[in-house]
Amino acid sequence: MMAYSASGDGLPAPVAVLLVEDDEVIRRSVAMALERYGYRITTAADGLAGLEAFRDGGHDLLLLDVMLPQLDGIGLCRRIRETSTVPILMMSARGDALDVVSGLEAGADDYVVKPVDTSVLVARIRSLMRRAMLVPAPASQAPTGPATVARSVERPGPALLRFGDLAIDPAGLEVSRAQAPVALAPTELRLLLEFAANPGIVLDRQTLLRNVWDYGWDGDSRVVDLCVQRLRKKIGAERIETVRGFGYKLRP
Amino acid sequence: MDHAHSLLNWRSLRWKIALLVAVACCGTALTVGVLVHRSTEARSMNDGGARAINRLSQALKDYERDGVAPDGLVTQPAAMPGQLLDRLEHEQGDGQAMVTWYEGGGPGDHPSMWAARTHRGSPVALETDMTSDLLTRRALDRHMWKYSLIALAVMVPLSALAAELPNRRLRRVARTARRVAAGDLAARTAAGRGRDEVAAISAAVDTMADSLRERLLAEQRFTADVAHELRTPLMGLVTASGLLPQGEATEMVRDRVAVLRALVEDLLEISRLDAGAERAELRPVPLADVVTEALARTGLDARLSTVGAQPVMTDPRRLDRIVSNLVANAHRHGRPPVEVTVTGTGVTVRDHGPGFPPELLAEGPQRFRTGAAERGTGHGLGLTIALGQAQVIGAELSLTNQPDGGAAATLGLPAVTDRGGMGREDDGTGPDRRSH
Repeated sequence: MMAYSASGDGLPAPVAVLLVEDDEVIRRSVAMALERYGYRITTAADGLAGLEAFRDGGHDLLLLDVMLPQLDGIGLCRRIRETSTVPILMMSARGDALDVVSGLEAGADDYVVKPVDTSVLVARIRSLMRRAMLVPAPASQAPTGPATVARSVERPGPALLRFGDLAIDPAGLEVSRAQAPVALAPTELRLLLEFAANPGIVLDRQTLLRNVWDYGWDGDSRVVDLCVQRLRKKIGAERIETVRGFGYKLRP
Repeated sequence: MDHAHSLLNWRSLRWKIALLVAVACCGTALTVGVLVHRSTEARSMNDGGARAINRLSQALKDYERDGVAPDGLVTQPAAMPGQLLDRLEHEQGDGQAMVTWYEGGGPGDHPSMWAARTHRGSPVALETDMTSDLLTRRALDRHMWKYSLIALAVMVPLSALAAELPNRRLRRVARTARRVAAGDLAARTAAGRGRDEVAAISAAVDTMADSLRERLLAEQRFTADVAHELRTPLMGLVTASGLLPQGEATEMVRDRVAVLRALVEDLLEISRLDAGAERAELRPVPLADVVTEALARTGLDARLSTVGAQPVMTDPRRLDRIVSNLVANAHRHGRPPVEVTVTGTGVTVRDHGPGFPPELLAEGPQRFRTGAAERGTGHGLGLTIALGQAQVIGAELSLTNQPDGGAAATLGLPAVTDRGGMGREDDGTGPDRRSH
């Protein structure tokens, strides 16, 4: 397997982040701060420019502001999700139900509320990238070291998992429903694998927040609810059952 | 229960209306009764007098014809009532006029009607018995009493029942107003039809609820806008100050940025709490874990001890806010060591400083007032937030001073009950789960 590399010197390439933010100071300072952590940043100042920059390709993660001129972050997120499963992190200055829920419904994997510390932002990006790479989450997060893309993931290939008409290949990370492939965003795939590892067992929101999103008790369980909603749309609503007051379980 | 209570309430409008109806009925019955009684009596007197005069004329005719006084004709003045003789004396016109006298209180309750005239220079009189007349009149009076009372017995409950209709509408208005006061801004009386005063008060309550809701929504919109307007430049400031090279001046800038940021977040949080739109997302939570994590996140020094911690029914994000605010407050205004104790379903945060000022204990925390100079500086919002959030999650926060010095804040959380274990009512996917 080949490691994706731009420099060709054998080192993994830096994670490419597309930052779409209309406030110039935020755009430039966040770009500079993330570059210090080893990310490669492309910026866009409005929604349409962001969409264009995204279509140019080569981005590993999208960092979107919600309130953007031309096309807002939610609309942009929805447009991108039509064709791509790239990890998306939303930044909202309001943090109220409407912003957060709309962003998550549009397909964002997670959200942060402004103002956010660079360290928190980096922690969120790392968590999201781990999901995208499906590298098992390490117990501790070292704040140093350049962020890299590890495209080569070798796993001993377990057998294909089947749940009704749903088939999950945990090695090839492919999901199909009635023989038709299903495109899942990294968080959705990670969530499905979490369910698949515990078929028929009720997983509460807290466990899911911890295992999939790397949140502690401060996590917002709406991200779980909305991701489950999106997952249901793709794999069939009846596959994931809501257990009132507890959480969700995958129906074997 | 409410219904039974209102039935028994003697001050209820229902009984006031019933009383009013009873008084009106009694008044009418009494007036009609007195009038009927009087006119019947007058007619009875007239009839009795005419009958007595007829009988006297007949008796005198017989007397003239036979020369012998017929049976019942009294010729001795001594046997006549004095008043009859007086009348005869005074009202004598041409000497042929007849006078009558009703002797009411006769012996043995037997009234009689006397008729008299002067016959050949001396008075002659005849007594006619009126007992049956009196009995008839008394029977009539009794009937009037009886039917008045029956009518009263029917009308009063009927009016009480009829009063139930407006009463019910009024109770609905009261219920709605109470629900609005309790925070349900969607509550309306929905009175709709009717143009009476109850409809007017219903409409007034609805209008009040409408305008209250509008003001609250405007306030929420304002808070959201303020949040956006303040947080956007703050975000630039936070990130940009993080890029500054290390140094004394940088530390000062970063410190002030952190203070400004905390202040903005506190103000926004208080404003959301004030708007009353905060909804807790309750679920069973291991208390000790959440408190441990909250303490770690504050980065402040605190000694944590746990004694028989139990799971609680709470919103962990809000519990986190309460604990971190209490610990920060203890550090800012008290003196170390700050001790955090988790006991059962309660959390106590105590310091070893001068304790809470008496005004704070008496009146509760006031914004932007720390109460006393020795409590140090601070904007005094932490306790307000802790109290507000405690209210949202249904917890009880009490502030006390320890006998051996130091302030203690004790948070009592609701335990997990069997039924309460089902924390979330629905799928939990709706956008209105929480509003911040």
